[in-house]
Amino acid sequence: MRRFFVSLFAGFIVGVGLGLYLGWIQFPVQFVNSPAADLAENFRDDYTVMIAAGYQADGDVIGAIERLRILNEEDIPEYVQDVTVRYITNSRDVDDIRNLVALSEALGKLLPIMEPYRQVTLPGQQP
Amino acid sequence: MTIARPPTLPEEIPAAPRPSKYMRPRRYFSWPAVVIGLIMGLAGGLFYAWNVNPISEVDTAPWQLRQEDKNHYVVAIALSFAHDGDLNRVQERLLQLRLNTDPIQYVADVACDLASGGYVDSSSGLSAIRSMMVFYQLQGRSGCADTLIELDTDEPETQVLVLPTPTLAPPASKTPTPIRNDRATATPSTLVIVPTSPPQRDFVLVSVNTFCDSELTGIIEAYVQDFNGDGIPGQPVRVRWDEGDDTFFTGLKPERGPAYADFEMEEGKGYTVEMPGLSDPTTQPLVAVPCTTDDGEQALTSYRVVFRPVN
Repeated sequence: MRRFFVSLFAGFIVGVGLGLYLGWIQFPVQFVNSPAADLAENFRDDYTVMIAAGYQADGDVIGAIERLRILNEEDIPEYVQDVTVRYITNSRDVDDIRNLVALSEALGKLLPIMEPYRQVTLPGQQP
Repeated sequence: MTIARPPTLPEEIPAAPRPSKYMRPRRYFSWPAVVIGLIMGLAGGLFYAWNVNPISEVDTAPWQLRQEDKNHYVVAIALSFAHDGDLNRVQERLLQLRLNTDPIQYVADVACDLASGGYVDSSSGLSAIRSMMVFYQLQGRSGCADTLIELDTDEPETQVLVLPTPTLAPPASKTPTPIRNDRATATPSTLVIVPTSPPQRDFVLVSVNTFCDSELTGIIEAYVQDFNGDGIPGQPVRVRWDEGDDTFFTGLKPERGPAYADFEMEEGKGYTVEMPGLSDPTTQPLVAVPCTTDDGEQALTSYRVVFRPVN
């Protein structure tokens, strides 16, 4: 009987390890009703870039803030500034950087590093 | 007194022990117990990993978003398109949603949902839905938002100017007529001035070829290329037939290259192809007539048309 229980315990331990490996690593739970706040960083960045491009299209800074609110950031201007600086330092797409800089500027978060990407309106030029 | 054994009887041989499980050497493990324990442990481990303490989800992809946030993501895609008009990028982003339906029609459906709810109460929401409408209408899709929200269009407005036209003084007659003070009378007339733009012929149809393929049956393949023959994505191509027309864009099937766009014809119908505002339509209609492939299969004739810049 002792041999039986020792074997049962050994099998149980191996089974638990195998189950945890399968459940956590090989076949982890995939959530399908996740909030946008849980988006992976690259998708959060992409979403922010899209909102910045939308701001360039409609000039609606309040709308941009509202749209970014779903990312659940406490300080949205600070967040946009961080993303913008990261895009600049990582030499990402220039058009994306320009859009982010424009939104950062509209949110009052223009830094010297953003100046080269800032779009200015020349006299007589359509904004 | 002893009884002597008969000399003919052989020596008594001890009987071999009967095979018994109790006689086999014992293994260190009981395999049935190991299997039972393994099953129990596996079940317990999976239950713990999936239900009690699942891995925390921090790298969510867009397709995993709940419907509400997925709608926000689609809105962002449409807003981005409103700024840069980059169809390839839009397509990549829509693919990240892993939709089971036509992704562009999905945008129309989301716009319909949002237009039906309180999303349009703010000007930002209204503007976003209009961006979505522009996007999917350009791709030839429609949704209920079209009837709920009026789309701002930049079409040239018809300007109607009402100008006074002086009436010439009557010629002198032999009969003196009393002098009138009102020599000229102003009569209103309507002058309609419609802003026009010179016809643009930026592209020209350089080739139309036919082919017969059972897998690509009745297809118009349109390619828009630059001077070097490289594909230009995002270019509109319009197909017209008796009952209607459809506009689609190059580059929406990246696996076929940035120059590529296609349209499926109906058997027996004739179609003209053009780049709206950028080229003249084909002079002869392209008709989807039956053909036989090299393998002897029946199909409809397909066409391959190529547009290139003029000069």
